[in-house]
Amino acid sequence: MTIPVSEAAVAAIPAATASRARGRLRQTLALYVPTGLLAAIIVACFLYPLVGNVPPPVGGSVLDAGLPAGTAGHPFGTDTSGNDIFSRLLYGGRVSLEVGAATQVIGMILGGLIGMIAGYSRGLLAAVLMRVLDTLIAFPALVLALAIAEGLGPGELHVIWALSFFSVPAFARLARAATLRLRDQNFMLAAALSGTPRWRIVAFHLAPNLLPQQLTFALLGAGVAIIQEGALSFLSLGVPPPGASWGNMIASGMQTMSVRPSLVLLPCLALLITVAALNLLGDALRARWSAR
Amino acid sequence: MTVQSTNRTDNLAAAADPEAAVSVPPPGTPQAPPPAGLLRFPLLRSSRFRLAVRRLLTAIPVVWGVTFLGFTVLNLLPGDAAQALLGADATPQEVAKLSHQLHLDQPFFTRYWNWLTSALSGHLGNSLGSGQQVTAILVQRLPVTFELLLYAFIVSLLIAIPVATFAARKPGGIFDSITTFIALVGLSVAPYILALLLILFFAVDLSLFPALGWTPISGGLGSNLRSLTLPALSLGFPIGCFYTRLLRADVLEQLDEDYVVTAHAKGLPGWRVLLRHATPNSMFGLITVVALNAGTFLGGTVIVEQIFGLPGIGEELFQAIQTRDSPVLEGIVVVFAVLVVVIGLLADLLYAALDPRIRYDNPGQ
Repeated sequence: MTIPVSEAAVAAIPAATASRARGRLRQTLALYVPTGLLAAIIVACFLYPLVGNVPPPVGGSVLDAGLPAGTAGHPFGTDTSGNDIFSRLLYGGRVSLEVGAATQVIGMILGGLIGMIAGYSRGLLAAVLMRVLDTLIAFPALVLALAIAEGLGPGELHVIWALSFFSVPAFARLARAATLRLRDQNFMLAAALSGTPRWRIVAFHLAPNLLPQQLTFALLGAGVAIIQEGALSFLSLGVPPPGASWGNMIASGMQTMSVRPSLVLLPCLALLITVAALNLLGDALRARWSAR
Repeated sequence: MTVQSTNRTDNLAAAADPEAAVSVPPPGTPQAPPPAGLLRFPLLRSSRFRLAVRRLLTAIPVVWGVTFLGFTVLNLLPGDAAQALLGADATPQEVAKLSHQLHLDQPFFTRYWNWLTSALSGHLGNSLGSGQQVTAILVQRLPVTFELLLYAFIVSLLIAIPVATFAARKPGGIFDSITTFIALVGLSVAPYILALLLILFFAVDLSLFPALGWTPISGGLGSNLRSLTLPALSLGFPIGCFYTRLLRADVLEQLDEDYVVTAHAKGLPGWRVLLRHATPNSMFGLITVVALNAGTFLGGTVIVEQIFGLPGIGEELFQAIQTRDSPVLEGIVVVFAVLVVVIGLLADLLYAALDPRIRYDNPGQ
């Protein structure tokens, strides 16, 4: 008895290989396109003003106010105070990227540590930490951020402190959940049984296993932090004008929105592209690491 | 099939882990067991009721902690209500006098204790600025915020459920590719950016919706909804995109399950399998995330209300922070915290209602 092999099945083999190759290409693109985009944004915001001919973002002359896009020396024109919009976009991007990175680093280190301790230790310490975390999570974080930003006064550093109250509990919760999953796995038990000190287990056995998840989360979180920074600046609790930030550009552009929508649209677009690139990259990394 | 379903329950338990971990205190912490005499009532013996009670009991320290944290943060801020009320050029004597009148010169713990005891009896104090009762302010402001939240939530579900279901029908297809991309961009849009874009397009260019202000329901349901449509869209669309991605992944996972194969084998049409079998079973992840995101959702209303000039809780909150009006701020914080806790509890109860296999009893009982 011969097993009938349909011709379609045979023909499907190269088709399957092709579709797998297409899938792989798609995965590669999903990783490199947002990486390239982010790299371009970072270079544009941090390096280009140093080498390129970019006018200062503040101290423009009122005589130059409201120049249309395409004017010589002002590719996007000038705003109502006569400052170059392109330059303000770049310098505002610095603030956004710095806030995004700083809040996530603080969150990852501090929150990761708290979460690992809360997940790994049993007993009173874990219970107390959990209650503190629950409280921080149940506390409306925006209220806290608003209150801190208002109390400390406007400024980039203060925004970072305020927004870290978002990131630290989020990372802590994530690290705790992952620690609970890993705690009783064999490699952890083996380390404990062979007499490894607890701090060593946490630092060299637990932490490296949490890192991929924490990194992808940091990328997504950076996007959220950038949005929140924009919100605080928008409510004039972030970077004080005349200093540039995407949030305060949007807020000041709102006043002339019906006449010159580009004053609002450009910083909105910059913010959207940056956050989308962070989300895409985080997503691609998660897909790659979870497939492993 | 049995193996599959156990797996699924495990997944659910894992998905619900942060919540479940909240509800089960580690062994060793004292926990008030219901008195044995009452256990003869079936309702009190049901696991759902016990779950609700346990969740409410563990929520008490959390809500208390939130009030304490709120008080502390406000106390740590430089400047106080007296200064904020009198303005920058008030003499120190005037500030001291007003501080004394408002009891702001009392020690921190005395003030907190006074607030807490009166709050427990249902009296949240008076606004330092206007002298209005905080409960009256909340009653006046909350309906607007609740209506906006509900509207935005419905918008997000109306986006998420149909789009995710149909995207999962043909993964990798045209509809799926387009909606996946839109959802990814959509969840990157900040609500305030979307709000401005919507105002620019629908209110300024097309004059379809009002850009500012709010019409109460007494002014007609139609114009009431019209004044809330743009705010609800700007709040609901990004979060709807987020839910879409989540739900699509869950539906796809469900479509791999054995019961779906069985349904297909029985000859059920594909759309029926999708709509009646796979999608309802995919709701668990969504419920978890809705509950976890409740706080963010609430926070998002603050800025959207600012942009659209809605007389909701957000505006009040913003003022209260600027004038250091601690009773008002405390009232708002308590309401938010209680809401987050209640939504978490509802989510847990919904799991149990949707899937009778889920038991929240402690292992070993």
